[in-house]
Parts: sequence; structure tokens; C-alpha cells
Amino acid sequence: MAIFSLLVTATPYSAQGQFSALQFVRVAINNGHSIKRVFFYADGVLVASRLNHPPSDEINLTKAWAKLAIEQDIDLVVCVTAALKRGITNHAEAERNALTGENLDPAFEISGLGQLTEAMLESDRLITFG
Amino acid sequence: MKSLFILNNPTKLDACLNAMSTQDGLLLIEDAVIATHHSGLSCVTYALEEDLIARGLSQLVKQHLVNSNIKIIDYTQFVELTLQYDKTVSWL
Amino acid sequence: MKSICIIFNKVPYGSQSSRELLDIALMAAAFDMPIKALFIEQGVLQLINKQQPEVLDIKNHSATFKALELYGIEEIYVDANALNNYQLTHDDLMPIAELIDNNAISEHIQQSDFVLML
Repeated sequence: MAIFSLLVTATPYSAQGQFSALQFVRVAINNGHSIKRVFFYADGVLVASRLNHPPSDEINLTKAWAKLAIEQDIDLVVCVTAALKRGITNHAEAERNALTGENLDPAFEISGLGQLTEAMLESDRLITFG
Repeated sequence: MKSLFILNNPTKLDACLNAMSTQDGLLLIEDAVIATHHSGLSCVTYALEEDLIARGLSQLVKQHLVNSNIKIIDYTQFVELTLQYDKTVSWL
Repeated sequence: MKSICIIFNKVPYGSQSSRELLDIALMAAAFDMPIKALFIEQGVLQLINKQQPEVLDIKNHSATFKALELYGIEEIYVDANALNNYQLTHDDLMPIAELIDNNAISEHIQQSDFVLML
């Protein structure tokens, strides 16, 4: 059984990449593999906002990731630089940068690019969904 | 090292093929599944079935590919395929 | 240590992805991973001298390319064929990259443990 990590840079809703990445993670787990980390970068970080609110007949990608992360104990990490640039922040980063409000879904954590490099080195495969 | 190139954008097919080595494989996903009829696909090529089904192309492509070496694979096979190659290259 | 190949293939400024890809290269360098940077197809335009995105109020990231060597990224290659297509010569570029042909590009991709584009 293998350990996978994913790099997700696809923007949510305007592109398919987030849906593809979710599908890949679900199937890999069903087949007995494990997911070390899903690292969100570039426009991919936009999925981590708990304020994303698609119409009720569409999949909510944020909730889909959060459900998977909680059920399967998967590390969902958002790049801090990419996230802050795009208005995605948690409480600590909001305080540090004097921003009002916070919107990071609690299933995600904010960290640095080093988390991507570490995931690459500690997984059998890194798969990018852009 | 054998690489599995993963292509999701049909307009980048030629550039992707250019970068590949002879032992590499090509997996067409998302919109790139429409490129299965491309004449230049001399490498080992796979197309993701769920993406074909989603676009209503599954039956059409299967009929068309009877005599071709392009293999239609599902997500389970996609996951396993990544392990048959030394690495994946998502061509963006 | 596992090696990484970073491929730049986009025109600068229309998309900002090369800027964020550059950050991945610098982070991999901080982890002491052997790094190759390839500039291919439209990505060769990233290396043109005298870029002035300031006229558009866009940050100029090309200076960071010049500094790659300081970060320990010494293997920098540019697609000779693509330069030709844009009627550019080596003199139009920042003097940091070695010209290579298509076969060499494939070989660098083949030899690396990880290949990233954005």
C-alpha cells in the first residue's frame, strides 16, 4: 500500500481540478492507500474559505474536503502566502496581519511551503491537480 | 525513470508529447479526454473513463478505439497506474 | 536527496503562476534538494532582459530569476527551439541559462524525481 500526497492548484468552481483531486483521494483510500497531505497552493487555496456558498444543488467543495479530512484524518494544508494574498485567513494570521475577520474552514490549516516539500519527501507519490 | 504524464488540457497535447521520453505513458483526464482521436499518440496512452462518461463520450470513444492502443481506465486504475511509473508529471 | 525539476512554460504577467512556481523552487532549495529549472515554450519569455511590469503596477519577479544562483539553483536551462520561434537570441535573455535542445529537455525531466509546473 502506498502513501500519496497531492498538490492542488486548481481554482475551485471555475475548473475541474478540485473535483478530480477529491475523486482521486476517495478512490485511493477505498483501495487501501493512505494520503499523507493535500497541499493547496495558488488559486487552489480559495477552496479553504468556509464562506464559499454554492447553490444548494451544487457540490460544496469546501465541505467535501472537510468531510473527507475528518472521516479519514487527512492533513489539509493551505499555503500561507498564497492564502493571505487571496483573502483566506485564520484567526492567528488575521491578528498577525491586522486583518478583520477570519474565514478558514476549521478542517484546513495554514502553514508554509515547507509542508509541501516535506510531503513530497515523505510520500511515495506526489500528484498535482492544476 | 519512467514518468506518467497527466494532461488535463487538450490544447497542450503537442507540448506535452514533445517533453515525453519513449518509455513514458500519457494519461488524458478532464477536458483532455477529447484528444483520444489525436493521430500523434504513439506513446502508451490512457484516457480516464469517468471523464469520458461525464462528457457523454464513453461509447463513442470505445467504438472508435477498437483498433487502437489507447486504454480506457477508471479512477481505481488511475491510482494504481501512478504506482507503476516512477513519478507523475501533471502537464499544465 | 531527491531531485526536482521546475518547468516554466507561461508568458510572464498574463498569469502569475510563474511567480508562485518560483517560490516552490526556492523552498526546495532551502531543503537542499538538487534543482533544475527549465524554461520552455512560452516560458522562455520569463528570462527576457529589461522586463518592466512596473508600468502595469505588477511586481517584477524577473530579478529573482537572476538571483537563483545565490539560492544554490545553478542548473538553469532554456529551450533553444522556443527562443528561435520568438526570434530571440541568448543575448536578449538574462545571462543565467544554458541553451538546450528538445532531447535534453526530455532527459532532464526523465532524470528528476519530481517535476512541477504551475
